[in-house]
Amino acid sequence: MSTLTPPPREAVVPESFFERRDADVSVLQDRIPPEYQLTRRAVMLIALLGLLFTICSYQPLWHSDLWGHLSYGRWIWAAKAVPQVEPLMPLAQGVRFVDTAWLSQLIGWGIVSKCGVAGAQFMYAGLITFAFTCVLGVVYRRTGSLIATLAAFVTFLWGAYQQLLVVRPQLAGLACFCLVIVVATASVGRRWHWWAIPVTFALWANLHGSFLVGLGLLGAMAIGRVFDVTWRTGRLGAALRDSEARRLVLLTQLAAIAVLLNPYGIGLYGEVFAVTGNPNLEDLFEWEPLSLRMGQGQAAATITIGLFLLYRMSPRRVTCGEVLAIIGLGLATLWTSRMINWWAPLAAYYVGVHLAAIRWKNFGRPIEERSRSGLNTVVAVGLSWIFFAFTPFGVTLLHGQPQDAKLLAKRYEKSVSPLTPLGTTAHLLAEPPVGQIFNTYEWGDYLTWAGPPGMQVFVNSHAHLVPQEVWRDYMSISAAGGNWEQKLDQYSVNTVVVDVAQRAALIKALKLKKDVWELSYEDGVGAVFRRLKPL
Amino acid sequence: MKTASELSSAGSSRCSRVCGHVSFVPVLPITVRREEPRVCALSLTEVRPTSRSIMAACRPSWLAILFVQFITVGAFAVAWAVGQPEAKALVAKQLWQQDAYPHVVVPRERPLVIAPLYDRPDLISDADLAAVLQKVQPRFPRESLKPNHVEHALRTWGVGAQFQDPAVLSGKELTEFLTDHGKFINSWGKTIAPLLQDLPTGVAIRFDRTDGGSIHHDHWLASLTEAGVRLKTPVYSPGRRNATIHTVLDQALRDFRLDEKETEWTALAFGLWIAPQHQWTGGDGRQYSFDLLSQRLRRGQKELGVCSGTHRVYSLMALIRLDDEFKETLSDAERKNVWAYLESVRDRITESQFPDGHWPSNWPEGKSAVEKPIVDEFKAVVIATGHHLEWLSIAPKELHPPEETIRRAMQWIIKTTKDNSQQTILDNYTFFSHIGKAGAMWRRTSPEAFWEEWEKTHPFVTSQAPASEATEAAKPKSTEDH
Repeated sequence: MSTLTPPPREAVVPESFFERRDADVSVLQDRIPPEYQLTRRAVMLIALLGLLFTICSYQPLWHSDLWGHLSYGRWIWAAKAVPQVEPLMPLAQGVRFVDTAWLSQLIGWGIVSKCGVAGAQFMYAGLITFAFTCVLGVVYRRTGSLIATLAAFVTFLWGAYQQLLVVRPQLAGLACFCLVIVVATASVGRRWHWWAIPVTFALWANLHGSFLVGLGLLGAMAIGRVFDVTWRTGRLGAALRDSEARRLVLLTQLAAIAVLLNPYGIGLYGEVFAVTGNPNLEDLFEWEPLSLRMGQGQAAATITIGLFLLYRMSPRRVTCGEVLAIIGLGLATLWTSRMINWWAPLAAYYVGVHLAAIRWKNFGRPIEERSRSGLNTVVAVGLSWIFFAFTPFGVTLLHGQPQDAKLLAKRYEKSVSPLTPLGTTAHLLAEPPVGQIFNTYEWGDYLTWAGPPGMQVFVNSHAHLVPQEVWRDYMSISAAGGNWEQKLDQYSVNTVVVDVAQRAALIKALKLKKDVWELSYEDGVGAVFRRLKPL
Repeated sequence: MKTASELSSAGSSRCSRVCGHVSFVPVLPITVRREEPRVCALSLTEVRPTSRSIMAACRPSWLAILFVQFITVGAFAVAWAVGQPEAKALVAKQLWQQDAYPHVVVPRERPLVIAPLYDRPDLISDADLAAVLQKVQPRFPRESLKPNHVEHALRTWGVGAQFQDPAVLSGKELTEFLTDHGKFINSWGKTIAPLLQDLPTGVAIRFDRTDGGSIHHDHWLASLTEAGVRLKTPVYSPGRRNATIHTVLDQALRDFRLDEKETEWTALAFGLWIAPQHQWTGGDGRQYSFDLLSQRLRRGQKELGVCSGTHRVYSLMALIRLDDEFKETLSDAERKNVWAYLESVRDRITESQFPDGHWPSNWPEGKSAVEKPIVDEFKAVVIATGHHLEWLSIAPKELHPPEETIRRAMQWIIKTTKDNSQQTILDNYTFFSHIGKAGAMWRRTSPEAFWEEWEKTHPFVTSQAPASEATEAAKPKSTEDH
């Protein structure tokens, strides 16, 4: 039709067109697709998570486990194979090693070798933030309540605080576990669950041996659902026909299958049980039963009391799966305090959803359309970038590593915990020890990582790989117990490397034996003694 | 805008399908078909189900369930089939409490023998050897027989030893005392803890310093092994009648730990039974090897081992001899280490010998042991001198100290044995038994074979002094430090 209309001879532009005007907001369109638009509360949560990420990025790297895992990662990279027997502790030669964290170790080694310690800090912060994002995200999605989400945040952080301090593959397990919480607590299936769970468990089985906790959670939820449906309907057949029960059972099965995708195959299942029953672990603080004298025991007690109150007041029906999971993990936490790492996020989730339910029961809440807007999304992206850019990893990525060696060393020193044996290691590098050394358990990892190549450490933090006899002798020597000197002779130990903080008795005893041992280095963190007549 | 109560009445059954709150679900299962927006009564949020979420909310079909069951069974079956034996054993042990120990195959009915290399009548004559062996015959009182003494007598004389003197215990009697709980009770009564201990997995030997105990771990086994016991020799424990030496050996292989207090006899017994196999898995799942054992034997100060560190030297020498025979008992690197260790022992004993021919207990100190002598107990020098001569009898000449050193040591042990009374010998039997064995081995024979020949030409006469002494001999009262 337009082709039939003759063009105007002269275009007439109205004068008002050239006048300066303010934009008419009412006609502006939000071009960001609706599914990516965020509410202000979501922005606040993202800011909270961003802050957590930044703070974690500045957390000094712990002086124990991390370095051992990196050393194993380095070994795996060099050998191009996973270890079958313990490769780093001479006194554990031949001890079968099912490396449940080989993938974490390899990834960790890759990141640290390419990006330095800032990479490890980034990895650490990233995993913690991901775990929190899962839990807070699911609470917020279920409740839409900022207060409930913040309560979940506080519960999670307080409960698992001590476990979160140490950078280790367990954090990768925690991230996987929190993702499983999202799936396991969903009472309606989503398509992505069917691939996310197998993929998560296939990864988890190679990242850390804690996958069993995830399987347990899924299993508890499945059993609970079957029980709930049977209880309410009075018919077992109803449970068999229930979509949620079916979904949870099948997901548990798929997860169990996915775990088999690891270099050790079915042996991984046996190993996970074997590790938890290893008697050496009884001597380690973090494997002790939870008690009120522990900070995390006090946190667990407070959270438990809070949960009791919430359950008492909540109008929300408590599912059997919920009870099984919370009580099961709670009992496991009492058994060994380390399990609080898994109990805390689950407790946080239930604190959040019950708190929201109580609030709405008592105060009501009008329905209102949440104000989603693209502007909020832009703000969230901007905040995320700012939080990232201010982390050590962000700075390194944007500006590169400092060229000045002193500056680099200073930055490294700030990036590791004050208990890291930096001076001791420098001394050992300058004067490498000959033969077997005796070192404290906490330092074996760092000495293997940063000490002279081939140094024969006595033990490292993989206590379950240390033969029981060696471990008993280690405990005896480190406490300067009976026959400590004879035991050092027995192992042909020529060098003793100990920390000042916890082994003052041994240091004192060694100093008294001046005819046998010579103090060759000492600082505020540790001391090195050498045998006057090496064996 | 609706209130919560309005929303609750709007249809509680809907919310569970979409938002996940199950508390308001009266009937299950419900298949979602409707597309209209629904509201969760708890979260009070409006949820618009998409076709994706509805599809996802549908029940997994029976076909899907069957499929998952199939792949579950299939996956675990395949994983089990292709799994390494160690992995399967670990799973069986942890999940089903099954005994996962992979038994070591013992390739022979009789143990190997490390043959002596030299026949040196110039060092020890027949008469001297006979005099020495006469003194170290097992003339023990039958009551409260000490397993440690019996073990030493047996490793010296062998299971087939027979004596014309009825006061001397034969190899058969010695063997039965160690392997038959009934014989043990005859000697000790029922109040003493049994020497043979029944375990669910086999038979173990009680080793401690209490009455009726074998002093050292695996010494019982090593002594019987060196004595030439057969693998199928029955072992009658308090609760088993079907055990054999094989049962005890199997238990020893199972419960061995590398860092236990003493490994000297374990290394010897394992080497003589399971070589040429050089690697095996223990009951703790650890991979053991003769390399590891020899590393363990070389570890620590030289004199810290049993009997002033001389037993480890003997065991290391035995491992070298096994490696000579089978070529793969030790790795090349470890063989070099062992050889260097034995060379250092050779050098130390060359320097530390006293002019009269004996070695002190602090022989690893070399020259300074002579220059600054310590006060040694009598038994300590007997131990050091006798044991060193014993391992030298199976060592190649490269590992020997000068000829004169060996000669002086030999003269010292002959003279010392002859000069001491039968009672003194019995009090220190464990140490003197090594002297007897060393003397025979330097004649490339065994005490058993030599004595059998000797008695053909020198038959036992009832009035011989040692026999009458034996009948009145007091129970050995040595400290059993050996």
